[in-house]
Amino acid sequence: MKAAIVVIAITVSFAVSLSAQWPKYSEPGIPRDAQGQVLMDAPAPRTPDGKPDLTGDWLRADRDPRPPELSGIAAEQGRGSRAVVVEPQVQQFPADADSPPLATFWDIGTNVPGGVTLTPWAADVKKKRMAIDSRENPDANCLPMGITQFHMQPQPRKIVQTPNLIVILYEANYGTRYIYTDGRKLPPQGDPQPWWYGYSVGRWEGDTLVVETNNLRGAESGPSDGWLDVRGTPYSDQATFVERFRRPTFGKLEINVTVNDPKSFEKPFTVRINQRFLADEEPIEAVCNENQQFRVRIKVD
Amino acid sequence: MNTFRHLIAAVLGLLVASAPVLAHHSFAAEFDASKPLKLTGTVTKLEWTNPHTWFFIDVKGEDGKITNWGFEMGSPNGLMRAGWTRNSMKVGDTVTVEASRAKDGSNNANARTVTLASTGKTLFAASSQTEGR
Repeated sequence: MKAAIVVIAITVSFAVSLSAQWPKYSEPGIPRDAQGQVLMDAPAPRTPDGKPDLTGDWLRADRDPRPPELSGIAAEQGRGSRAVVVEPQVQQFPADADSPPLATFWDIGTNVPGGVTLTPWAADVKKKRMAIDSRENPDANCLPMGITQFHMQPQPRKIVQTPNLIVILYEANYGTRYIYTDGRKLPPQGDPQPWWYGYSVGRWEGDTLVVETNNLRGAESGPSDGWLDVRGTPYSDQATFVERFRRPTFGKLEINVTVNDPKSFEKPFTVRINQRFLADEEPIEAVCNENQQFRVRIKVD
Repeated sequence: MNTFRHLIAAVLGLLVASAPVLAHHSFAAEFDASKPLKLTGTVTKLEWTNPHTWFFIDVKGEDGKITNWGFEMGSPNGLMRAGWTRNSMKVGDTVTVEASRAKDGSNNANARTVTLASTGKTLFAASSQTEGR
């Protein structure tokens, strides 16, 4: 009881100080109860043409198992009330029986029964990445971190949906992704030149936005290319992604990501990433390259 | 008690909205979680910059010798969501830092918590460790 009161006191002090640092405002057009709390289970909004509107700020909602590299810290933090304050970054949604396995930020296939089966080529790439502590992870080098790391990064992202174009603005590393929904087709793989975000086109199947992506820079392109997770599970130049976005309620965004990449995986796999609506906040500027000293400190450069 | 539980739930709910603390790099490439460190000293310099905020403190050893230590924290956006402002800690402040040492044995570390002597208030450093990254 006493510990709980301490937790509350600390938490409230955070909340109070928070409001003093970033302008708070009450975002209009959001379903709320009489106390102003967002009704997360309210129906998802729709655009004038009747499509679900994915516009909004979103936080990842799934919690990663703590990796063994940090297990010592986990034990220490589990001791006191502080752990309670720091750990609940996001509130998880109830288990969803229809969901594919939840993707994990550290190692994307952790929850896939039997794991994802890497080809010998991909297993070798991953082994070499892990042998140097993932220091080439694009996230560590202020580079675009790829579709799955961007979806799961703890920093929020803003989706802006227009009839012909959906833009995802990632607070992390200033990422910007364009998804064309004007009916165009994907260009052939390898033409245009592969790029960090690849080439993405989206179409609506009922209330599901289906996004296909190709022309991604795979692991052949460079040490920080083709990373699915922090451990460096790779994808190759041949990879294509299919993402199925659904907004079943006001507060929930479900993204089923299928990775098709015969060079890296024995068979395609699909994982789920859930995101939670973030009301009354905005992404905060984070210009990653302002003072990037990581590579100097670890004496790579 | 029910009301109390609701209060806790409400407060945690608030946190959910306000504390997506973040980190940036690959922690393991630079720091060693098995080498914890707790030091008290005087702040000599602050770098409120991306991708990581750094601060430096002078620590007086048992022999009276002063050593300057550098601590990495999260990025300013993450720190702001964890309750920091760039004025939370100033040059000259006395602070106690819990951290993990750099792998290379230098006087650098990744800070986990910072407690200000003047107020007793502990702030979380939004580091790779607290985020579990």
